Amino acid sequence: MSEKEPSICEEKNYNELFRKFYEPATKYIYYKCGNLQRAEDIVQNVFIKLWKLCATITFSKAKSYIYTASNNSFLNEIAHEKVILKHQKTVVENTDHESPDFLIEVEEFRIKLKEAINTLNPKEREVFLMSRVENKTYREIAEITGLTVKAIERRMSKALKELRAILGKEIKI
Amino acid sequence: MENYDTDESFLGRWIAGELSDEERIAFEKTDVFKQFDIINREAQLLDGPTIDVERALQTVKARLANKPKKGKLIKLWRNISVAAIIILSTGIFLTSSKTYTTGIGQSQTITLADGSTVNLNANSSISHKRFFWSSNKTVELKGEAYFTVAKGDDFSVETSKGTVAVLGTEFNIKDRADFVLKCYEGKVQFTQNNNTDNTYILTKGMQVAITKDALKEATFTEETPAWKQGVSTFTQQPLSEVLNELSLYFDITFDTSNIDINRLFSGRFYHTDLNNALKATLVPMGITYKKANNKIILNK
Repeated sequence: MSEKEPSICEEKNYNELFRKFYEPATKYIYYKCGNLQRAEDIVQNVFIKLWKLCATITFSKAKSYIYTASNNSFLNEIAHEKVILKHQKTVVENTDHESPDFLIEVEEFRIKLKEAINTLNPKEREVFLMSRVENKTYREIAEITGLTVKAIERRMSKALKELRAILGKEIKI
Repeated sequence: MENYDTDESFLGRWIAGELSDEERIAFEKTDVFKQFDIINREAQLLDGPTIDVERALQTVKARLANKPKKGKLIKLWRNISVAAIIILSTGIFLTSSKTYTTGIGQSQTITLADGSTVNLNANSSISHKRFFWSSNKTVELKGEAYFTVAKGDDFSVETSKGTVAVLGTEFNIKDRADFVLKCYEGKVQFTQNNNTDNTYILTKGMQVAITKDALKEATFTEETPAWKQGVSTFTQQPLSEVLNELSLYFDITFDTSNIDINRLFSGRFYHTDLNNALKATLVPMGITYKKANNKIILNK
């Protein structure tokens, strides 16, 4: 047998798991359903269950339990709503050589981009957002969703193609 | 045709920086590259929701702390008065029961006193004794529900066709025109009402179905019932069943006088949209339909 793993029944270890996985799991569910309150409820319930099952789940299995259980309880709810995205506050625009006209166009483009992301099929939307907004690698996304890296590549390609089909005419070359 | 259009993983690999130099240089020369590039760069400037992890942790801790503490805080005199009230009202309430009901197109998740959960499908109900339920865990089911029963408990479900007794498991009971019991986890025991000598023990992936009082055993492979994911699926089942199922999820009735409801249907419909559901079930059967309020008139 391998080395003994830390027990989830110890509060310190449980807290560590919570701080590590609560946010990414909530965002994952949010990108699926578009309702933050519901996403938080789902993931909190999963963590409550995790505490009750702490003796039966090993520390290394907790991650996949959290994502799988969150996804399963999401599947019971069918509605998909729009995802609300905002801009990073830290982004500083380089305005030196850009005319005010151009900035207005950029602003309009960004609004259209957010709208276009919401028209994506939820399966492509979640992959696109986890990759581009959460900076997760395909391998990480594959682990979370239980899909293969190849499938993630395909969904990503499809998402980009659809976004270009919608937004291509907005971008002047 | 360009690479990005014919190769279904091309753009995905481009994002991950996994194109070969050759592929990448050729792609960067194309007209569409700039569009993809701007979409990619702008998307990376987006941010997801802000989540307060510490507050969520407090919420979860508070919810966990609340449950076992129950009762400890109540002082002795309060216990006595509560007991007195219970004794007085027992006569009235002892036989009363609590019922949960869902209407057409609704579903509900109920958590029972022992932590077991029941996902009640549309147009169904369960009821159980309001008091002392824990000493005799029996619920009565009409319609369809998925049960997740806490481990180590005696628990039974009474249906019109028989009793299902369980010991820590997950299973689905459909007790409508036909009766189907499917075991998804653990073990359940089924005893038919009119034939109590015959008991059936089901483990994961096994089912019993009763049609016109003939009982059939079979196996299945799905991991969760389709209805829990908002779908109804059929394999070689009479149209009448499909129409029954449709009117569970949508508030409609059917005029079937012009069609043969015994024809067999294989396929599925989603519970989200009536028009799509009608299209998915009726068009492949070559049946046309007209809507008049909540009545759907079917024609060949």
